[in-house]
Amino acid sequence: MSEQIEADVLVLAVADFIRSIEGELTGRSAFHAKVAANALAIVAREMAQAPREAECAALAGYLGHDAGIDALRAEICGRLRAGQLTPETPGLLEALTTAVLAKVATDNPRYSTFVRMTAK
Amino acid sequence: MNDEAREKLVSLLSRASGMPVNVEAVTALSGGAASATYAVDAVRGGAQWPLILQCAAAGDVPVGGFPKADQAALQMLARYKGIPVAEVVAVLEPGDALGEGFVMARIAGEALAPRYLKRDEFAKARAAMTRQCAAVLARLHRIPLAEVSHLKLPTGRVDEALARSFAHYKAIGVNSPVMDLAFAWVAERCGTAEPASIVHGDFRSGNFIVDENGLAAVLDWELGHLGEGAEDLGWLCANAWRFGVWQKPVGGFGEREELYDAYAAAGGARVDRQRAHMWEVWGTLRWAMSCLQLGNDHVTGRVKSVERAAIGRRVSEVELDLLHLIRFGDI
Repeated sequence: MSEQIEADVLVLAVADFIRSIEGELTGRSAFHAKVAANALAIVAREMAQAPREAECAALAGYLGHDAGIDALRAEICGRLRAGQLTPETPGLLEALTTAVLAKVATDNPRYSTFVRMTAK
Repeated sequence: MNDEAREKLVSLLSRASGMPVNVEAVTALSGGAASATYAVDAVRGGAQWPLILQCAAAGDVPVGGFPKADQAALQMLARYKGIPVAEVVAVLEPGDALGEGFVMARIAGEALAPRYLKRDEFAKARAAMTRQCAAVLARLHRIPLAEVSHLKLPTGRVDEALARSFAHYKAIGVNSPVMDLAFAWVAERCGTAEPASIVHGDFRSGNFIVDENGLAAVLDWELGHLGEGAEDLGWLCANAWRFGVWQKPVGGFGEREELYDAYAAAGGARVDRQRAHMWEVWGTLRWAMSCLQLGNDHVTGRVKSVERAAIGRRVSEVELDLLHLIRFGDI
């Protein structure tokens, strides 16, 4: 630890603060405060879990070559649009599942389908 | 709502009911992208008269959209056909200077799905709702199209609707391998059917008023269009509308087989299981598109809000639903 207060600690402190004032707010502001605190929790998980790297590894492993995440996503989309890949292409659904599970672990790990698919 | 608009509303309601009406309070409810909705506490002849005012958000419906006056007419037709729908009280006219919209009765009951899906006092309601939803959709879907030929309901073949959605996806410019895969999967299966029915277009557990006996009203007819009835059945079963109660595929309260059987028993078409599955995948893809669009509203500055930014991060959970549906044929 190079800093006493790392960025993830700051992010969670702000999320806790927002939750602490939620009760003083009403209507739309109270709802947005809840959303804002949840958004900061996503940021904290993203910093801890690095889902982009996991997605990159899954897509690069499937395609058989390395590239940045944007290029890998664009290549798969382009090949699906051109019909070179289809939903039936062996291994594609499995690779995309690995990539998306990493994203949902960050975005919403309490989501029902995530809980089901990671409990198996 | 400012004082001037409120005065206009008072005179509109007085004219519509043929007696003096007072408006005690106007409260803004959810601000959707396309509509602004207000709860109106009116008093007529000394009695409380709870109402809802729904207006086009920007004052007028965009060109090519479903006009509010026609939406009101569709609701009136649905009510006449025995579907539980709020009674339309008044339709705004250009002279009212309130934009496009209409006023309807405010139905008592629970509108928040997470409450009626989970609380004990709604157990009896939940047990009745699958059959009630099936009966509503069967009635709606068998209305002859000639009865709505005067309404500007959006229409088109299913493959044209899919192509419009795919063009919209490409225009947003986000590359989602899973959404591309789902578009390809649906395109292989959707066919080229011409519209045969009125489709509600947003028939889901977030758009119902529920009381202790079940479905008290079907809300939000603004996405009504002509298409294939099974679209409404598939949308109702999308995982997003189960609010965590994923074990109950029909809206978080029922089973598919009961829905399909009750739909046929109420005069609807026999449901082809593969077709229904196709519409569930498409419905889930539609929800992914909505999340992407709402996130895009924030990114482009069209509507900047923490809520829209956060919804953009829900695309991944919907991608997971799409993968589950396509891999395992079910969710």
